[in-house]
Amino acid sequence: MNNKNMLEAKKGFFDITLTINGEFLELAVKNGEFLLDALRRHGWKSVKKGCDTGDCGSCTVLLDGKPVLGCLVPAVTAHGRAVTTIEGLGTVRKPHALQEAFVAAGAVQCGFCIPGMILSSKALLDAVPAPTEAEIRKALDGNLCRCTGYVKQVEAVKNAAKKLAGKRRA
Amino acid sequence: MPEIIVKPSDLKELWEMLPGLPAARRYLAGGTDIVTADNAGAESSECWIDISGLPELAAIKETAGALFIGSGVKISEIENSKAARKWCPALAAAIPHFASPSLRNMATLGGNAANGSPCADGVCALVAEGAYVLLALKGKKRRLPLRELFLGPKRTALKKDELILAFEIPKRPHAGVYLKLGPRAYFGISKAAVALTAELSGGTIKRAVVALGSVAPVPLLAVKTSAWLAGRQLSPQTAAAAAAMVKAEVSPITDTRSEAQYRREMCGVLLERALGGLR
Repeated sequence: MNNKNMLEAKKGFFDITLTINGEFLELAVKNGEFLLDALRRHGWKSVKKGCDTGDCGSCTVLLDGKPVLGCLVPAVTAHGRAVTTIEGLGTVRKPHALQEAFVAAGAVQCGFCIPGMILSSKALLDAVPAPTEAEIRKALDGNLCRCTGYVKQVEAVKNAAKKLAGKRRA
Repeated sequence: MPEIIVKPSDLKELWEMLPGLPAARRYLAGGTDIVTADNAGAESSECWIDISGLPELAAIKETAGALFIGSGVKISEIENSKAARKWCPALAAAIPHFASPSLRNMATLGGNAANGSPCADGVCALVAEGAYVLLALKGKKRRLPLRELFLGPKRTALKKDELILAFEIPKRPHAGVYLKLGPRAYFGISKAAVALTAELSGGTIKRAVVALGSVAPVPLLAVKTSAWLAGRQLSPQTAAAAAAMVKAEVSPITDTRSEAQYRREMCGVLLERALGGLR
């Protein structure tokens, strides 16, 4: 069968094209590979492999701007779509307001859940620039942290929202 | 995961490509159930048909008499739809209890139904909303009351290659409640869940539909309790009597998530609370 929409593994690999952190790329993904594993194998190590069953949220990435779980997305289905990992948000020299706020609030302990948590927060602030505490807690519902009690992450998101609002006014 | 994944761009193309695909094939919507099943070794298709790109499944539409939610609409899109919140209050109340925000960005109502699980929050709520399901297989279309789609745990009336197109919810002004008892307040699979819709006139229940999740082989429509509630005054006495009645209608089992007797008791508690929460 010859169909433009058929992706068939050749020698165990699919060639897909997608946008990662704003860059249009061709990526070879293994047959049976998930987006999480494909991203890690190609160097996006911020995407964490935690439970691998869609429970913990540490593999959260933004797919077309919305948080999804990389461990449940067959990599080939990301063909033609836009992926954002935390590498696309900011760098050590030029961090995103959320990254700064998480550090300033002391919201990071072991750090494993933080990329996913910040990406979920980013999607929230994109949709709701001034969220209530309940909205923040709801948005972070699927991002589990085993070090903290979530208090400081919630505080960090509030602070980042204020800072971003100030930037928009300026 | 199968070696072949195809992604038709519309329904016409889907029906055309079917004969050329391996016989062991399944539809892939949000993937949250099928992928987890695959990882657990419980899924052995040779081909997945990614239906996430089908425009025919992607919209929420309204006519004068009904709301249509496409089977491919993401749960989070329903959450943000004013029309869905207005005409499906029990479904709207269920959505915060549906998995987690990121899973709601992936999962679809069609997948929730096709998976055939008795614990599906979206489906349980839609049964209480009196929804119909619209199915298609090539040119053949049919429309079933949603509850008739479910034959048993993970068993549905879907024929091979038959596709859920949409859910049709008749427009009728009503109140809706969804109460779920899980291992924690959010992000868990229910031990028991109650969806209730009711048309009220002053303090009288004109019509009520009670549906329950995780307490029968299928998402359960409590026919007897629903019928009994019609015409009753909304009162603590009515709620207590309905709670006693619904406990006799469910048939829960003991499994890893909970125990049969506890589940049965909680159905009464949840329905009593749901009736108490009606306004």
